[in-house]
This record gives sequence, C-alpha cells and structure tokens, in this order.
Amino acid sequence: MILLESHNVIIQTTLGEKIAKPSSLDVSFVDYDGVRFHLSTPERKTLLLLSMHTRCWDQLVQYGALDVLKREYGSLLKPSSEPEYNVSLEIDLEQIPSGAEERDAFILSIALFKRNALAAPFELAFNTQKQLEASGSGQGELMEIHYRDEEAIYVQASADRVTAIFSTVFADETDRIYGKVFLQEFVDARRQPAIQNAPQVLYSNRDPPLEIRHLALRNSEDIGYVTFVLFPRHFSNPSVQHATISHIQLFRDYLHYHIKCSKAYMHSRMRHRVAEFQKVLNRAKQEVATGEKKTVTGRTMVSR
Amino acid sequence: MSNVLRPYLAAVRSTLTAALTLENFSSQVGSCTSEYALITKSKGSKEVLLNPLIISRNENERVLIEPSINSIRLSIRIKQADEIERILCHKFTRFMMQRAESFIVLRRKPVQGYDISFLITNTHSETMLKHKIVDFIIQFMEEVDKEISEMKLSLNARARTVAESYLTAIST
Amino acid sequence: MSQLAPVICDNGTGYSKVGFAGNSDPSFVFPTAIATRGSGHQSSRAPTIPSKPGHLASKRGVEDLDFFIGDEALANAKTPGYSVHYPIRHGMIDNWDHMERYWEQTIFKYLRAEPEDHYFLLTEPPLNPPENREQTAEIFFESFNIKGLYIAVQAVLALAASWTSNRVTDRTLTGTVIDSGDGVTHVIPCAEGYVIGSAIKHIPIAGRDITQFVLNLLRERGETAGVPPEDQMRIASKVKENYSYVCQDIVKEFRKYDAEPYKHFERYEGEHSVTGRKYGIDVGYERFLAPEIFFNPEIYSSDFLTPLPDIVDDVIQQSPIDVRRGLYKNIVLSGGSTMFQHFGNRLKRDLKQLVDRRLSNSVAASGSAMQSSGVEVDVISHKRQRYAVWFGGSLLASLPEFYTSCHTKAQYDEIGPSICRRYQIFGSAT
Repeated sequence: MILLESHNVIIQTTLGEKIAKPSSLDVSFVDYDGVRFHLSTPERKTLLLLSMHTRCWDQLVQYGALDVLKREYGSLLKPSSEPEYNVSLEIDLEQIPSGAEERDAFILSIALFKRNALAAPFELAFNTQKQLEASGSGQGELMEIHYRDEEAIYVQASADRVTAIFSTVFADETDRIYGKVFLQEFVDARRQPAIQNAPQVLYSNRDPPLEIRHLALRNSEDIGYVTFVLFPRHFSNPSVQHATISHIQLFRDYLHYHIKCSKAYMHSRMRHRVAEFQKVLNRAKQEVATGEKKTVTGRTMVSR
Repeated sequence: MSNVLRPYLAAVRSTLTAALTLENFSSQVGSCTSEYALITKSKGSKEVLLNPLIISRNENERVLIEPSINSIRLSIRIKQADEIERILCHKFTRFMMQRAESFIVLRRKPVQGYDISFLITNTHSETMLKHKIVDFIIQFMEEVDKEISEMKLSLNARARTVAESYLTAIST
Repeated sequence: MSQLAPVICDNGTGYSKVGFAGNSDPSFVFPTAIATRGSGHQSSRAPTIPSKPGHLASKRGVEDLDFFIGDEALANAKTPGYSVHYPIRHGMIDNWDHMERYWEQTIFKYLRAEPEDHYFLLTEPPLNPPENREQTAEIFFESFNIKGLYIAVQAVLALAASWTSNRVTDRTLTGTVIDSGDGVTHVIPCAEGYVIGSAIKHIPIAGRDITQFVLNLLRERGETAGVPPEDQMRIASKVKENYSYVCQDIVKEFRKYDAEPYKHFERYEGEHSVTGRKYGIDVGYERFLAPEIFFNPEIYSSDFLTPLPDIVDDVIQQSPIDVRRGLYKNIVLSGGSTMFQHFGNRLKRDLKQLVDRRLSNSVAASGSAMQSSGVEVDVISHKRQRYAVWFGGSLLASLPEFYTSCHTKAQYDEIGPSICRRYQIFGSAT
C-alpha cells in the first residue's frame, strides 16, 4: 500500500454488515487528524446515526462545509447534531438503494464523510479562482484550517492558481530528519518528465512563505512549510478536482505514514545486519570439547 | 573493502592483536575476585592500566584502544557525514547495543565521544578464539560504514518513490 | 474530550482483534496473517537493497510496502508471487519483520489512526520473555512514535472482562482463566493481577480439534456423502458453532435422542460455494458429543486423557495455598471454544465434585474430628466471552488510571526499552 485511501474502512465494513443484518450498535472510532466518529442506533435497529467531531469544524463551516455535505448527503444530514459532536448523518437502512452497485456506491459515499467535510475550503478556493480568472486579477481570502493542534492548512486562490500551504511540525528528532529527506524529494520530483504536470511543491524550513507571512505564526526551528501550487488543470473537471482534493488533504498523513514505514524498513534491515554480525562473532566461540578423549587402548585421557 | 580504508583497518587490526595479551589479575581491593581494571578505574590501581591510544583516520573516524592488564576496551567513532548519517548511525548502534547480551564483547553504553564500545576481558580471550574476535571487530568496522551509507541511499530512494507516486496521483 | 480513545490490539496466534477502547466489540477481527511478495524465507532474511539510483531501480525501494494482511492476505494466498506467513506462533511473536509491517498496516489502513495521537494497549501471552516486550516497545515507540504503551497479560484482561457479568461484584484480579481459542487451551491462575507462572497448564484440545471431531462423527454416520470435500471442514465448524451444547449426562442424552429422534436431530442446509448446488445433512449426537471432548478426552484423542475439570483442579492445587480459595471462587472463561451452552455449569459441577470428595476424604482422615466449612466453586460465563481478552483491554483502557499506568514516549526516550519490563497493575477494586 503506497497511497492512502480516503474512505474510512470501519464505516464501510460496519455499514455493509448492518445493511445485511441490522442489529443494535454503539461504537466510536477515529480517523486521521483527530477526527472522531460515533456510530449508533439510538432509536431502532434500522436507523443508524453517524456523528463526526473535528477540531476545525467552525472553520470548515465558515468555508461552506455544510453546503458541501448537503449536496453530498441531502436529507441524510440531520439539522442538529448529536451532543459532543459537530455533525450527524441519519441513515435509514430500510431506504437504502437496492441494487448491489448502487448500494456499494452509497456505502462508499458515507465512508467519505470526513473527506467531504474537509473538501469544502478547497472547493471554495477552486470556485473563487474561476471568478478571479474571469475578472482578471485579485486574490481570494486566505483560509486557515487548524486541523491539528500545532499544524494547519492555508488555502488561497489567486487569478491563475490556488495555493495550499501545510505547516508541519515533527515531534521526534528522527522524524524531522527523515521528513526533510522526503520533503526535499517532493520538491525535486517534478524534474522527472513523467510528472511535469504535477503541482509545484515548495518547502521552506522555519521561514513562512509570503502568503502567510503576515499571520502571527509560532517561530521555531522545528516548523516547516510545504506549499502546493495548484494550477487550473488540477481542478478543471469534477473528477480531476475530486481526486486532487482527496490527495491533497491527506498529504500530512501520507508523509507521516511513509516516515513510519521507512523506520520499519530500517528496523528490518538492522535486524538482518545484526544477525549477520552475530554469526561472525559466533565463529569466535570455541567449540566445547565434545566427549572424552580416548587413547588407543581405550583409556580416557584427562587433562590436568 | 575499499582501498582507502585498508591502511586504517590494518592499523586497527595489528594494534588490537598486539594489545590482546590479557591475563587474569586478582582484585587489589576486594578478595576472591578479579575485577576489570578499566571499569573500576576510578578506584585507583593505576599500575594495571596501560597507555590508551587513538588510531584516527580523520576527525570523524577514529578508534580508541584502552588496554589494561586483564581487559581491553575498544571504542569506535563511526563516520557521520551529515544529519541523516548521524541519525542512522545512532539508530543502528542503539539497536545493536540493545542486544548487547548476545554480543558478549559489546558494551551497552559507548565511551563518551564515541559511538560504540567493546570490552574484551581475559575470560573472553581465554574462551574465544582471539583472532576471530579481532576479525569480528574489523568486519564490524568495515560493514557498518557500508550499511549506513546503504541505508541512507535506500531512504533517499524511498523518498523519491513516495514523492513520485503522490505527485503522479495528482498530476493531470 | 481532547484525548482520543486508546487503541486495543490483541494479536493472537490465529486471529487479531483490534479496535478502540470504550467499544464493546473489536472493530476488526482478522487472521494474523501477512502475504508478502517473494518467496517466504528469502524476503524476511535479506531485505532487498536498491542496487542503483535511477528511476527503475528506485521503484524497487518500496517493495516492503507491497503486502496484505488479514483476510486480504488469505485472499491473495494464491496470487502468483505472494506467500502467506503467520508471524505469531504459540502466542508469541516469531517474525518481527512481518509483525512490524502487520502493525503498520493495521494502524494506517484499517484503524486510520495517527499513532502519535494515541495510547496503545497490547496483549501478551503468559510467560512471554521480557525481551519480547522490549522489542515490541522498540517498534511502537521508535517506528510509530506512539504516545504511550501498556502491555497486559491476556489472562488478566480476561479476568477484567468478567467484571461485566452481574454475578461478579468485587472486581478482583484473582481467579483462574480458562482460555480456549483455536489452537490450544490454557488454564492460567492469576493472583491480584499477576500470573502464577509455575502452575499454568496447557491442554492440546481446542477449537480446531473439536471441528475435526465433529467431522469424524459426521463421516462415520455417512452424512458427508453429499458434501463436497472442500466444504466439509467449514460445515463441521458451522455445526459446532450453531448446534452444539454441553449435556449433563451422556447416557441419558443418547437415550433421549433415541426416543425422540425427530425432536432432537437438526437439519443443516448448505450450498456448494462454487457450483451453488444445494445439500443437507442431519445433525445428531455430535451436538452434545463435540464439547464433551473437554470432559472425556478419550472419545477423541488417545494421547491426552485428563479431563478439563481435573486439570483446573491440579492447577489450583499447585498454586500457593493462600490464593486457592480465590481461584476456585472465580473461574473465568475466555475464547471462542468456551462458548458452548451450559459449558460453565458442567465444569462447575464436575469441579465441585472433585473438591468435595477431597474435603470429605480429609475429614475422614482426621477421624471426623475436624469439619471443613467447604470451598466455594464458581465458574463465570458472560456475554463477552468470545473476545474476552480484547474486551477486558477495552474496559481497562477506559479507566482514568490507564493513562498513569502507561509508559509514555518521554519515559521511553529517557530510559529505553527496558522500561517495559515492568507494568503497574491497575483497575481492581481491592
């Protein structure tokens, strides 16, 4: 698995099971970036309530998350959410599309709950860009999404592009160094002819990029900024736009996933190497003398 | 083995072989026990310690050999050209020292200023083949550099693949 | 509530149970299997090294990401190039490379949790060497940077899981755990959260053997004639799971079946997994004979002949004398193979007989001068028996003390893996 998937596997499997065989349910689970879910059947077995909590909800609402969710889920979206959560969907198992394919598509769309909520600022930026392009100049609002305690995404549209900036903080020294290697490759990768069309990636350590320099940002050594410059071709039609948003919003998780995989890989290399060294050292061990030494006549030799 | 490394390793090998002439030596402090002079250095008995020596290839690569009457401590400073090599080297030596028990001659903590330390006592040199212990140390020095640079290469290769796969997915 | 729920990971020999604390069931239960590319032994021994930098060669740098775990691993077992491995043997981790990658995918693909934000509760079998704990901690703290770690002994978690039963009032961590999974059955005595290692006993009869026994019985009666051979094992395990129960007296039960066969025989209808052809079998005596192999092992095996109640009694008698009462009073069942109806009752009755007989013998030996007040024997069955270990973990990790009992990343960084040699017991009311 190189790329991360955008849908939540727990929602997908649980929903599939419950459609096949409704039963009462009360589970809570999480998704990347501190998103919490709660899936329950408060009234009857066939009425599922899926609630989500994310720490940047207020910001998402400000950038139109409710409209996006309304468009995706329509009447499923509950007007008021469950307490302690930000937004709830009500899924009536008796009114699920009956065809196998439509059903799978429906389940998948529910499993993309978090992705859709987080897509709002990007969609807004893409639309703003189109307007600005028509009018020829100007800049869109700088949107801040504080999706983690110390990290944030900044999205801004301008006439010819949309800029997405991720601030990254590495808690661990090793992660920081591995992360730097990875980010450098993200910057360099575009030189490959095959991916010339990819968004431009810029990385700066400590110094924030121009777009967000006016914000009051924490200034410290361990913070870095990754800038993705998205050109109109990256969101020219709905399917391309969908894919772009799905990938961009998982950037941080993707990076951290691979840092961890690299460490796991290093571990297995080290295990292998250490086992090899062990073999070399074992050669130094003397064989324990096997059995007794006998003379020709059968008498045992004893060393004194 | 690269040719540039050869004289350095040869020097370490011959010094170590020469230094590995250990004998049992009863403790001058306690009774019925032999303690390793290097470990209890602070307690005096300077006469059992011999002159330590450093074999250095450059400022980043050196070996410290501290001989004594009944034990010899060898500490290695491994080449670390940059931040990545430093962290990989640290990870590797830590991983190995974590398993020090099975590496009889390995210490759990390195001497200050070095990355990894070995302690060969007279018991070791009596129960194990002396030249094979030397072989082990030399082979370790030889391969650890290679391993670290390979790890660094593979990290870079991984990073490149990872970045390319991600960007390919959003390039149109 | 800014704290995200701890992750509970119970990796068993056969199946892994993973999920989040606070839930009553694990989110995922899948085989502890990993399908990797390349022939088995070679891939684990020598990690591939990209030979030259460059586009093609660098593609090979991430070969170690090409693998599947759980059900997907088994589904890919026949895909050319993949081979399936089971990283855990006899409850203990056997292949650390595979296990590390197994965890990697469990966390990132299935749980979708950022490990840096979570505490983890892992389980270990009784008598797990401390080196294994250290290696586990090394993986979780160094590769995954988790916030905090707690490694609990499976038997202790099974005891904690029994607190949900309404017959348990005093939340004690003293008791005897009978843990029967697919491969092996353990009888483990625990005193105040610590396993009495010297008294543990294993029984080589568990789920897999029961299934085989059911199949033998069905074959002997000629029921399997219409069943395709590749489905037989599956059917036998279905029969075991759905129709079996423990009877109080075999002879009476046989008589009952003979008197009214139509009342007691059940009909199992199946369908061929490939052709869709229908078939059916009659399910009869195996309904009560299957679990009977715990109580009369001679009906199945010729090398293992001690009944389960005798083993439990032996285990308790080998434990220190001052905890024996507690051990008899709180016998807890865990694992899928203890799920048979009336299993607990039968075990309790047989064990009670053994204990009472010993007591009356000692009364007689003392010349009837001393009277014993009797020993209370109780077997606890509860609803969460199947995933009792996981559930116990979920329960303990929801307690506020959990966070203070964990070793945190900061502590690990300061002291090193040896910190995981000790874990504080918590949660019990006594």
